Amino acid sequence: MLKVEHLTKVYPNGTVALKDLSFEVPDGEFLVIIGLSGSGKSTLLRCINRLIDPTEGKITMDGIDITAAKGAELRHIRRQIGMIFQHFNLVKRSSVMTNVLSGRLGYLNSWSSTLGYFPHEEKERALAAMTRVGIADKVHSRADALSGGQQQRVGIARTLMQEPKLILADEPVASLDPVLAHSIMQYIEKLNEEDNVSVICSLHYLDLIQRYAERVIGLKDGVKVFEGLPSEINRAKFKEIYGEEAQDMRATALV
Amino acid sequence: METLKSLLHSLKRVLIIIAVIALLVLSIRVTKPDLVKLVSSFPKAKSIMGQLLRPEILGRESEKITVAQLVPVPCGSVANPEVPASGPRITVDPPCGNPKDKVQVRGYELPKNAELSIRWILPDGGLLSIKNAVTNANGELTETMELRPITAAVDGKPAQLAFEITLPEGKVVASQTLKDVLDAMFVTIFMALIATTIGTIFAVPLSFLAASNITRKGWLGSAVYYIVRAFLNIIRSYEPLVLATIFAMIVGFGSPFAGVIALSITTAASLGKMFSESVEGIDSGPIEAVTATGANKLQVVVYAVVPQIIPDFLSFTIYHWDINVRISTIIGFVGGGGIGYFLSQRINTLQYSQSGTALLAIILVVWALDFLSSEIRKQLV
Ligand SMILES: Nc1ncnc2c1ncn2[C@@H]1O[C@H](COP(=O)(O)OP(=O)(O)OP(=O)(O)O)[C@@H](O)[C@H]1O
Ligand SMILES: [Mg+2]
Repeated sequence: MLKVEHLTKVYPNGTVALKDLSFEVPDGEFLVIIGLSGSGKSTLLRCINRLIDPTEGKITMDGIDITAAKGAELRHIRRQIGMIFQHFNLVKRSSVMTNVLSGRLGYLNSWSSTLGYFPHEEKERALAAMTRVGIADKVHSRADALSGGQQQRVGIARTLMQEPKLILADEPVASLDPVLAHSIMQYIEKLNEEDNVSVICSLHYLDLIQRYAERVIGLKDGVKVFEGLPSEINRAKFKEIYGEEAQDMRATALV
Repeated sequence: METLKSLLHSLKRVLIIIAVIALLVLSIRVTKPDLVKLVSSFPKAKSIMGQLLRPEILGRESEKITVAQLVPVPCGSVANPEVPASGPRITVDPPCGNPKDKVQVRGYELPKNAELSIRWILPDGGLLSIKNAVTNANGELTETMELRPITAAVDGKPAQLAFEITLPEGKVVASQTLKDVLDAMFVTIFMALIATTIGTIFAVPLSFLAASNITRKGWLGSAVYYIVRAFLNIIRSYEPLVLATIFAMIVGFGSPFAGVIALSITTAASLGKMFSESVEGIDSGPIEAVTATGANKLQVVVYAVVPQIIPDFLSFTIYHWDINVRISTIIGFVGGGGIGYFLSQRINTLQYSQSGTALLAIILVVWALDFLSSEIRKQLV
């Protein structure tokens, strides 16, 4: 269970990205965050694994205070939280294998992994992860030789290596075409269902929200303006979250 | 109004043209080009170029034989020597004499068309070279020589007249000059190599300190960032030649060490700058991603930073080695050792054909390294 309490983030330049945000994510839930560009979705996800330090508030996972963790304890928490990015964030010049293995670094001896040594069972684990997302034939390819959809699958395999309890996905399909988007979302859904991993995913397209979300939280200027089931999002609600000007463009996806 | 504007416009143009012409005239007066001299010294140029273009590369292996003949000075100081009837031999006519007498010296059955050096072996064993000569097609040689007081016999021991003959059949081998040039060239290449290595070792940490995305955080980080950057810029403004001159004065002229210090410093500064720009250009995405997996700082650097910068770093380093070889050839001129020092010495002593060897070596090495470095860099992209 992840618990976010009164979370506030003010960037050094004074931008208030999140304002007194509270919510809970029960184990195994697929939660979708929606909101306009700049509404604070990425900021929220990055606060949860502390890529960004929150200004105020508290985040706990299974009772452990993430916001207070430091050093080894923080890394220990991070390795239980997978992250999938809009731009995949792979190391382009490294092989697919190395990219996937890097998901395991939090579990490995610092010195031997620094020298590039990975135990045999970790390579097996990496191959299994790649097989699961259908890219086992790309083991030795350089990451930048893959298509966008394949790169995102490498990203998912990297996350699998962490054996995570929670996956944060920041617009995981925003750089992909609609068909690929569904295929990637299905992999994430499978992890959620088969491995009982909680998922917090930010999405922009209503059809995806309706199809994959168990629950939805809507943000506007860093404030929670909606929390409920995807079926509760109607035209009016959508307009409220996305604002008048975005109405025409977005609403078509709803019909 | 319109006409005034266009008039002003043309006036401006005319003024600019006049200014440019004035600058050109001034620069010609300052540099004093002397075309007449260039043409009138054509024979000299031809001779120098001729020698430069005939670099000394091959030589004969110097197998040498010596033929000698006793010459009593004055007559009667020692018994007149016998001359063998056959084989390489020297006859002196008359066989003895007093200082200042002229004698006719003939050599028989010597190696044909061979270069030889005529010299006295003095009674005390000292050598006195007289001249170089060449035997004719029959292996004979005739010279007229003057006896000298120094060739007088001492304590019943006469001086000998000797031909030291270099055999023309000696094997063709690399000339001594070529060997010296190669030695000096190796010094230059390794001077550049060691300087590039030392420079790179310093450049790597400096580049991280001078990269805004790594260092410029908080007031302390910002301070370090600006100080290191300023430091790099100041050092980069010193020409390696100027630094090499200064260090040559300190550690001694002709020592490669001066060149190494100078090149190391400039390499550290300029690679530091180039590396830092490469570090600033890295994608923060992979760093975020690897950090998010729970990796520690060292693992993040190894798995997310290093793969992004390594091709640039290698490529810049090789490029700089190439540049350093060029600079270190010149650094020799200001006392930094290596091929430049060799070349400057030969030019100063007018040994143009040896200079030609050095120039040829420089051209070949610079060309080869240029090719090699661009090939390696192509592989790295
Ligand atoms: N590093 C930063 N420094 C200052 N302000 C920032 C920083 N990162 C984000 N912001 C600001 O914080 C607010 C929230 O940004 P955030 O990236 O969380 O929005 P988002 O919902 O993810 O938007 P998008 O859909 O475009 O990804 C925005 O106003 C943004 O300009
Ligand atoms: Mg975002």
